[in-house]
Amino acid sequence: MSLIQTLLGTVLFAVLAPVVGCLLAGADRIVSARMQGRVGPPLLQPYYDVRKLLGKEDVSVSGVDGLYMTCALVFTAFSGGFFFSGGNLLMSAFLITMAALFFIIAAYSSRSPFAEIGAGRESLQVMAYEPMVILMAVAFYLATGTFQVAGVFDLRHPIVCTTWLAFIGFLFILTIKLRKSPFDLSSSHHAHQELVKGVTTEMSGRTLAKVEVMHWCETVLFLGWTGMFFVWGGPATLIVGVVFALLAWFLEILIDNNFARVKWQAMLKSAWIVALVCGGVNIAVLMLL
Amino acid sequence: MILIDSLVVFPLIAAVLLLIGRTDAVRDVIVVASAAIIAVLSIVLAAQYLGAPTTYFMFESPVIDALVPLISIAICATICAFGIKYKNVFAVVLAIVQLAGSLVFEFVFAHGIDVQLSLYVDTLSAIMALIIGIIGSGICVYALGYMKDFQAHEPEGARDRRPTFFAIMFLFLSAMYVIVFSNNMSWMFTGWEVTTLCSFLLIAYTRTDEAVRNAFRQIIMNIAGGIGFLVALFAVVICFGTLSFSEFIALGSLFPSFAALPVCALAFAGLTKAAQMPFHTWLLGAMVAPTPTSALLHSSTMVKAGVFLLIKLAPLFLVCPVPAVMCELVGGVTFLLCSCMAIAQSNAKRVLAYSTIANLGLIVACAGVGTPEAVWAAIFLVIFHAIAKSLLFLCVGTAEHHIGSRNIEDMDLLFQRMPKLARFMMLGIMCMFIAPFGMLIAKWATLISFVETNSFVLILLLAFGSGATFMFWAKWLGKLTGIAGEPEDVELTVHKSEWAALYLMAGLIIAVCVLLPVISSCIVEPYIASMFGVPAQGVGQDNLWIASVLVAFVAIVLFGGLRHSRQKKVDVYLSGVGTDFATRTYVNSMGGQTQATARNLYLEPLFGEGRLKVAGEVICTVLIVIAFIASGVLF
Repeated sequence: MSLIQTLLGTVLFAVLAPVVGCLLAGADRIVSARMQGRVGPPLLQPYYDVRKLLGKEDVSVSGVDGLYMTCALVFTAFSGGFFFSGGNLLMSAFLITMAALFFIIAAYSSRSPFAEIGAGRESLQVMAYEPMVILMAVAFYLATGTFQVAGVFDLRHPIVCTTWLAFIGFLFILTIKLRKSPFDLSSSHHAHQELVKGVTTEMSGRTLAKVEVMHWCETVLFLGWTGMFFVWGGPATLIVGVVFALLAWFLEILIDNNFARVKWQAMLKSAWIVALVCGGVNIAVLMLL
Repeated sequence: MILIDSLVVFPLIAAVLLLIGRTDAVRDVIVVASAAIIAVLSIVLAAQYLGAPTTYFMFESPVIDALVPLISIAICATICAFGIKYKNVFAVVLAIVQLAGSLVFEFVFAHGIDVQLSLYVDTLSAIMALIIGIIGSGICVYALGYMKDFQAHEPEGARDRRPTFFAIMFLFLSAMYVIVFSNNMSWMFTGWEVTTLCSFLLIAYTRTDEAVRNAFRQIIMNIAGGIGFLVALFAVVICFGTLSFSEFIALGSLFPSFAALPVCALAFAGLTKAAQMPFHTWLLGAMVAPTPTSALLHSSTMVKAGVFLLIKLAPLFLVCPVPAVMCELVGGVTFLLCSCMAIAQSNAKRVLAYSTIANLGLIVACAGVGTPEAVWAAIFLVIFHAIAKSLLFLCVGTAEHHIGSRNIEDMDLLFQRMPKLARFMMLGIMCMFIAPFGMLIAKWATLISFVETNSFVLILLLAFGSGATFMFWAKWLGKLTGIAGEPEDVELTVHKSEWAALYLMAGLIIAVCVLLPVISSCIVEPYIASMFGVPAQGVGQDNLWIASVLVAFVAIVLFGGLRHSRQKKVDVYLSGVGTDFATRTYVNSMGGQTQATARNLYLEPLFGEGRLKVAGEVICTVLIVIAFIASGVLF
């Protein structure tokens, strides 16, 4: 039963997440522009960009990065499928890490000096956020008694009531996961920086389009994780989750526009300390009290 | 029963034959034939006993009882001979102490204690038999080709010790079978000591100063563990009046206060053999040996004997908190610190060694937790680690002989220079650390068992260790995948025996990962149910099936998809005028030529061995000492 549910969820996520993610990306650009006193592009600009990328000649330095990115997309879809069909939260977290790995390998395969450094930094980013992701899942389990996301519907109050500290820790690493400044170490929106485009330096055309679509899907998934903290009782409360997810999304844009990039040392140390303090203390309280 | 006998005796016959037939051609035939026979016997045994209830065999043999002290004397004599030759007093003293202890035990304490059901097979020992019989003997086959190259690389006129080398490999397998099938703890101890001696001889193989030094480190640490085993034997006989392992576990569960000290001492023996901190340095030192030795020590023998013993003790850890906490914390701390230290290593074999120690730490911690879910996780960690680690060691060994280095930075472009080998290596690496592959599924189950037992500290150690694990594997994996220019394919000269072993291990990885749900429900879960009375499996069958499908998908991409590209090839971007794109060379601002190169991140200041090693050794030593004092007081 749940097997079919997961597969169905995966298909639906693969269809819907790019649409929602694309709109979010467009809105992100408008909101960012307004924060900087500009008008910004049309809402559908990310869609136009990707459509144009898809029309370009399919070229590559390594010849295999397109395939690696397809794998990354497949794993992203499964990860989202697991989450939004109410499946296992840990499985969702592990599969999205596999997607991140394929993205990293795609960059390494080009053997561009810029992409290699970007890929190394992307691995560092995974290392920085992974402990907090695991602790977040453990806090979820302690609050609900299950790793199944659907478990939140059986609760009498949202899990954020008992896991607010872990939620703050999660918000911190959300910035890394969404590759927003100050933690956009592996790549950035601006082409002319010390790493050129970092991870995606050698990706173009269809391959780059896949990266964009993956990023849309990831945004939807991670905002889903955020919303999960605010849902309880029944499906009607999903609207509360959506509202808080959008608030978190706005907060991320605000942070993105107000912070300069930090060095990897600062990212790694701060992320691990936050995980230890927020995740660790929250879990200790849930376990021992 | 005849199967068990032949699995123990047959490798011994092979060892003797290998000492007699000293030419390459004869050795090839003996090794391949023996490996095939051992593998077939193991499979037949597994087919009979996997998933079946524990079967005990009535077997008493005065010959074997007489052999036990003789083997102890022989082991002591060998160590003393080496100790005197290389002037290592400490090893000699320890060996004599152990011999004296074991003789006193045999003739004074154990005298008159008969174990009637001295042999047994259960699912765990059948799984171990498969690991020893298929992976262990696969490594022996691999060694045929490898050792030819190895001998060719030796200086002119170097002595050819290969007959002894292969004989010891097979002796090792035999000793492992003794450990996994013996219900008589005295026999198990003998097998335990034989494996210690075998690894000593294998590590010292080249007789260089470094090899001898590291071999002595290994023997000193493992004899210390062996003395721990002896202490446990004394305590078991004094408290329970038996030498039967199954009776000890049954009685110990009923009288935990008497069992605390022997369990603690046995766990100590397991920790030394499984190379946990502060004893991890012997396994790091062991990599001076030829690569098949490392593969054998890390995957199917030696360290697996340590964790096998600890998993067997799991029901006792449930009732004896002191040794349980010792194992949990020593294993957990070892997992975190060794995963972190692996980040700073560029020597491939050293990375593999740290990863082995870290994963053994996880298995040790699972055994210490001792719940059904934790034992499920521990068994799968053992299986996947054995297969993936042997594949990786064999890959690194072959790569070293063909690219002349075991440094990860030199494995640049391996994807083109050794296309098949690079894919095998990628498969092995992925199996070690990422979903949907087996190791991660087992780690997932580990996490669930930690959460269900409220093991707060272990959860933190696992969470941070997992982050570090991702880093050191991902950057190695990335280094392999680079594609540039058209370098020469250097894998055409790899020996057939090496390919045979590599194909075997890679096939096993895919098969076992894909069949994980079946193995879990038909083999491991019934075993857990027979051990604890309740079946357990933390991950969920549906999740296992999806993981299985996704592994098949990745395997198809890796071996089928990455060959023909429809993408048009273009040159790389170098921020300047490129002169030779294949070597990433461009015209710099001074008009000269510069080659663009990038090294991986090793984060030496944060994750270097210096502070972390000392911290780990101090923490783990203190933990072990406290555990011994506490169990001694309780005793």
